[in-house]
Amino acid sequence: MNAELPLSHTVGEGQGEGRHRHKPAIAHLFWWFMFAQGGVLAAILLPVHILIQGILGPLGIVPVVDRHYDTWANVLGNPLVKLYLLVLIAFPFFHFAHRLRYLLVDLGVPAARGVPAQIVFYGGAVAVTLGTIYILLTTVPISFG
Amino acid sequence: MPRGWWTRRSNYFWYIVREFTSLPLALWLLWFLLEIRRAQDGPSGYHPHSSLGFVIFSVIVLLFALYHSVTFLSLAGAILHFNVADRPIPSQLIVLSQFAAWAAASVVVGFVLIYFAR
Amino acid sequence: MTATKRITIKATRFDPDKDEKPRLQTYEIPFSDDSMVVLDALNYIKGHVDGSLSYRWSCRMGICGSCGMMVDGVPKLTCNAFLRDHWPRPITVEPLNNFPVIRDLVIDMDDFMHKLKAIKPWVIRKQPVPLGGGAFVQTTAQIDEFRQFSQCINCMLCYAACPVYGLNNEFLGPAAIALARRYNVDSRDEGLGQRLPVLADAEGVWECSFVGECSVVCPKGVDPAKAIQQTKLDTTMRFVLPFGNRD
Ligand code: SF4
Ligand code: FES
Repeated sequence: MNAELPLSHTVGEGQGEGRHRHKPAIAHLFWWFMFAQGGVLAAILLPVHILIQGILGPLGIVPVVDRHYDTWANVLGNPLVKLYLLVLIAFPFFHFAHRLRYLLVDLGVPAARGVPAQIVFYGGAVAVTLGTIYILLTTVPISFG
Repeated sequence: MPRGWWTRRSNYFWYIVREFTSLPLALWLLWFLLEIRRAQDGPSGYHPHSSLGFVIFSVIVLLFALYHSVTFLSLAGAILHFNVADRPIPSQLIVLSQFAAWAAASVVVGFVLIYFAR
Repeated sequence: MTATKRITIKATRFDPDKDEKPRLQTYEIPFSDDSMVVLDALNYIKGHVDGSLSYRWSCRMGICGSCGMMVDGVPKLTCNAFLRDHWPRPITVEPLNNFPVIRDLVIDMDDFMHKLKAIKPWVIRKQPVPLGGGAFVQTTAQIDEFRQFSQCINCMLCYAACPVYGLNNEFLGPAAIALARRYNVDSRDEGLGQRLPVLADAEGVWECSFVGECSVVCPKGVDPAKAIQQTKLDTTMRFVLPFGNRD
């Protein structure tokens, strides 16, 4: 009978397994999902905007909507454009927030792993989202013309 | 882990560059937000940005953006897995389709940005 | 008659009873045969120069996974790292990164062993099939799903290459996640529900930022980086898709 006792220590919970509680990290899952979505959008949409609105337009090589008030305001009034701009600007910020937080960890700031840092970084992305919504709604009134 | 670990191997270095692309991209998008906001100034007060400094800034951001696109699309393509008729689609094909989507989106967005300028 | 070539090996020496911290010791040994690997050099040192040099090895053929060390700063199986690729430059041999050193080139692998155990790397059945219950039939396509991940020899090179593990030892790490995936995608296995809490933990897959170096150094082509991202994707889809399987 007693001889079985030591054996019972070799099965079941081992060292290490109980070191931290395993809880499914739903928050991590959500932020990773946003990170991935934002990354795709940034990858397929940003280069062309930067090329045309940041380089070719200012240099006058091609005409671009944001070079003249009339065309820019006209386009900005379109609700579909507003929706597109919201997606274009807001989603990538969740990607940036995630990456920059991990970049800080990589550069030797372990505090960037913690909950306060998560609130700052992901909160920042939420703030940009809200700011974008505000700007899109208040800058040029929605028009269907 | 020594602080400069990422300077010790080129793979680590390019990984850090990949993560860093977020910062210039974020700054450019914040500028873009301002560009939208400036439409509020009305027809007479609207002066779009055209300084040389801004163009140079955009060129630098574009380099980071391209690096982000190439790395993100190839990495995302490598992890996606779909089966068709019980056979996995080769990951090169998935990566290729991602780059095709990038090209198509660029053409459409570019067309809209230029076409509606008239 | 040419004299045999010689090669310089700098190996980490550390005696926990005497030394404060590890130091490098230089040995110059004959490089007599082009097929010599770093492990041969270490064996020569142990046999002819300094019998106290300690390191792990067994199979000499890239199967047992015990001879992993840092060779000029890169984690490698020393039985598979040829001297001819380095000669005439000296070779620095150090214990695997990111693990505590026990003595000379020997590291403490307990942490990895606990992690390996935590993901239950065996086929789990909800109802055990009795011995007489017949064979599990698998198609080649079903085997292809996990075959590559099953090649892991637990050499821990991927842990030594992983900066995320280096920065935070709580991270479950590449090989453990690759092996968890090896069983999760095995058509015979029903243990996903038991492994998921460990995998989807904050210190599980989410800690990984896809540096990708684990897959570069893996001597068996396992691609743990891919296994980790696929696990993130699958875990997310289970929650995002309306009819996701959440057992
Ligand atoms: S995944 Fe590769 S590098 Fe990592 S322990 Fe297994 S065989 Fe070694
Ligand atoms: S000695 Fe077995 S893998 Fe090198």
